[in-house]
Amino acid sequence: MPPPATYNIAMVSDFFFPQPGGVESHIYQLSTKLRDRGHKVIIITHAYKGRTGVRYLTNGLKVYHVPFFVLYRSASFPTVFSFFPIFRNIVLRERIDIVHGHASLSSLCHEAILHARTMGLRTVYTDHSLFGFADAASIFANKLLKFSLSDVDHVICVSHTCKENTVLRASLDPLMVSVIPNAVVAENFKPLDPPPPPTDPYLQSQQQHHSRHNSSSRYHPPPSRPLGPHDTITIVVISRLFYNKGTDLLTAAIPRILENHPHTRFIIAGDGPKAIDLEQMIEQNVLQDRVEMLGPIRHEEVRDVMVRGHIYLHPSLTEAFGTVIVEAASCGLYVVCTQVGGIPEVLPSHMTVFAKPEEDDLVAATGRAIAALRANKVRTELFHEQVKSMYSWTNVATRTERVYNGISGAISEAEFYGYDAANGAGSWSATRGRSGVQSFALIDRLKRYYGCGIWAGKLFCLCVIVDYLIFLFLELWFPRDSIDICPDWPRKQRKTDGKDDG
Amino acid sequence: MLTTAPHLYIRRPSPTTAEFTVTTCPPPSLPLRLLQLTLLLLRLITISLALLALHARFGHDLPLSTASLPPFLANLLQPILSSAPATLLTRLAAQDATPDWLVAGTALGAVYGALAFRPHTTESVLVLRGLGIQTSTTSGGGGWGVQTRFIPTEKIRDVLINEAFRGFGVRYYLVVVVEGEEDVVVLFPGLLPRRRIVEAVWRGVRGCLWEGGEEGKG
Repeated sequence: MPPPATYNIAMVSDFFFPQPGGVESHIYQLSTKLRDRGHKVIIITHAYKGRTGVRYLTNGLKVYHVPFFVLYRSASFPTVFSFFPIFRNIVLRERIDIVHGHASLSSLCHEAILHARTMGLRTVYTDHSLFGFADAASIFANKLLKFSLSDVDHVICVSHTCKENTVLRASLDPLMVSVIPNAVVAENFKPLDPPPPPTDPYLQSQQQHHSRHNSSSRYHPPPSRPLGPHDTITIVVISRLFYNKGTDLLTAAIPRILENHPHTRFIIAGDGPKAIDLEQMIEQNVLQDRVEMLGPIRHEEVRDVMVRGHIYLHPSLTEAFGTVIVEAASCGLYVVCTQVGGIPEVLPSHMTVFAKPEEDDLVAATGRAIAALRANKVRTELFHEQVKSMYSWTNVATRTERVYNGISGAISEAEFYGYDAANGAGSWSATRGRSGVQSFALIDRLKRYYGCGIWAGKLFCLCVIVDYLIFLFLELWFPRDSIDICPDWPRKQRKTDGKDDG
Repeated sequence: MLTTAPHLYIRRPSPTTAEFTVTTCPPPSLPLRLLQLTLLLLRLITISLALLALHARFGHDLPLSTASLPPFLANLLQPILSSAPATLLTRLAAQDATPDWLVAGTALGAVYGALAFRPHTTESVLVLRGLGIQTSTTSGGGGWGVQTRFIPTEKIRDVLINEAFRGFGVRYYLVVVVEGEEDVVVLFPGLLPRRRIVEAVWRGVRGCLWEGGEEGKG
C-alpha cells in the first residue's frame, strides 16, 4: 500500500479566535487533528483588534490575520476581488492544495473559494448553519451561496438536516454533500467525580477485579445516589439569549415549570438582547430565589456550570447541530430539547426528551424529564462514556480527510461516491461535472455559473471572467518566482489508522 | 539597467566584525562603468547649464569671458558656450517675461537634483561583537548622506525573522528587539530583501554577536 497522500490545507473563515464560538473551535479542533494526521494546515481569517499579521498558535498552527474592514458581527466587508492578491500570495508561499472554507456568513470564505477555483485548487466548504427561504436577507444570502457553491468541489454539512437545507438553498447535487458532525472534547466535559467508593468489602473486591483486568470502558460506575422526592432538581440553560435560541419560549415556560414542580430551580448562563425579558419575568413572578442568572460565561466555565445541574434545557428554535447538548450529555445531564433542525440526529433517545417548539409541550417535556429523574429511570452517570465513544475530533478529521482524498482523485470516484452513482454515470452526466473531479477549464466553470439564474447567471459569469483577468494580471505583475516559499513547520508522523479512532 | 534585485555582500575584516550590505547596485562591469561615466557627464552638463542660466539672468555686470582662463580650458568652453542649446537657454533665461523666482528655482532645483541623485539603494548592517549593531541606509532617488543608527549590545534583546503583510503580499523581514523601546527596529527597511538573504544575515548576525568563535554558523 503506498503511503497515504498528505495535503497542504488552508482553512478560510471570518470567524476564528480570539472570538469565541462554535465555528471557531470547530476550525481549531479540526486543524489540530488534521495536523496530527500529517497534513499541513494554515488558517486565514481577518484581522481582529490587536491581532493583525501572521501568528503561530502554541501548537505551531499558523494563522494569517489579513487586515480587512469588519462589517457586522465580525463578518468582513464583501469586496469580491480585493482579497485576491493577498490570497494568491499566501496560497503560493504556503504551497496550498486544498482550500477549505467555513461558515456561510463569512464573505472571506466565499471569496477564497472563488479565487481558489480560478487558481486551479481544490475547494471544500463546510456549512455550520441553517437558513430560511422566505425573508429578503435569506434570499440574498442564498443567492450568494449559490454563486460560491456553483463551482465548489465538495460540501460538508454538520447534520443531515443541514445537508437538506444547503442542498435546497444552493441547488447542489446531494452526492457532493457529505455529513460530518461536530464533536466535543469529552475530556473537557467530565461529570463531577463519583462519590468515594463504598466500604463494602464485596464491592471493593469487585472493583479491584475490574481495574486489574479491564479498561474503564467495561466498568460501569455504580448508580449515583437516588434522588429523593424532596431533593432539588437543577435545570441548566446555557445559550446566547437571542430570538433564534428560543429565549422567548424559555421566558414563558419557566414560571409554569417552577409552579408545577416545587423542588426545582434554574441556572441560566449567557447574555444577549433577550436577557432583559428574562429578568422582567423573574421580577414579575418573584422567582429570584429559584432562578439564578449568571450572565456571560467563558467556554472554559461551561462545564463547571453544567455539573451543578441535573437537566439541561435547550429551547432553540433553529439549530444546525447543537454542540452544547452533546457537551451537556457528556457532563452527565439529562437533556430536554426542542425537536428542530439537526438536534434529533445528535443524541440517542435515552439521553433526551424531545418537545415541540411551543410553550405547552416544552413544559410537559420538562415535567416528563423531572419525573423520569425522580423515578431513577435514567442512568445519567453512563452518558459521559457513551458520548466519548460517539464523538471525537479524530473521527471528524478522518472523515474530512476522506473527502480530501475523494476530490483530489486519490480514491476512485466509485469508492468516494458509492457504486450506484458510478454505474448510473450515463444517466446523470449533467451533474457529473459537478460531482466528479471538477474540471478547471474556464469554459466549464462558466457553464456551471451560467445555470444559476436568468440574470444572476450572467452576472456571476461576468464576475468569474473578471476574476480570471485579475488572475492573469497578477501572474504578470507579481510573478510566481518572486514569492518566497515558506519553510514548513515540522510535520508530525502520520499515525496509523484505527489506533487513534477513539 | 543601473539597478538589480537586492543582493547581499558580506565583509568580515575580523572574526568579531561583520558587515552585511544589501544593495541594488549591480556588480561592477564595463557597461556599468560606462553608464556611470555617462551619468557623471550628465550631472556636469546639468550643473553647468544651470549656472549658465543663472548668469544670464542675474550676472549682467559680470562679463562672461574666457580670456582670463588658461587656454586649454578656454578652448574647451568656447564651443559649448556658443552652441545652439546654450544660446537658446541664455535667451530664455534673459527674457523679462519669465519671473526671477522661476529661473532661480529651476536652476537651483536642477543643481540639487544633479548632486543628490543616486540610482541605487544600499542598506547595511555592521555587527561588532561586544559593541553592538550599526545600521546605515543610503536610499535611492534623492537624499543626502547616510542615515545611521547604533544599537549597543546590552540593549539588544534578540534578533529574529518575522513575517508581515506588506502591500499585496506577505514578506519576511529581520528585526532587532531593543530593550526599552516599544517598536522593534527593522533591518533593511527600504529594500526588504527576500528570504534567502534575510536568513543568511540572521545566521551571520547571531553568529557574530553571540556565538563564540565559530562565526558564520547558525
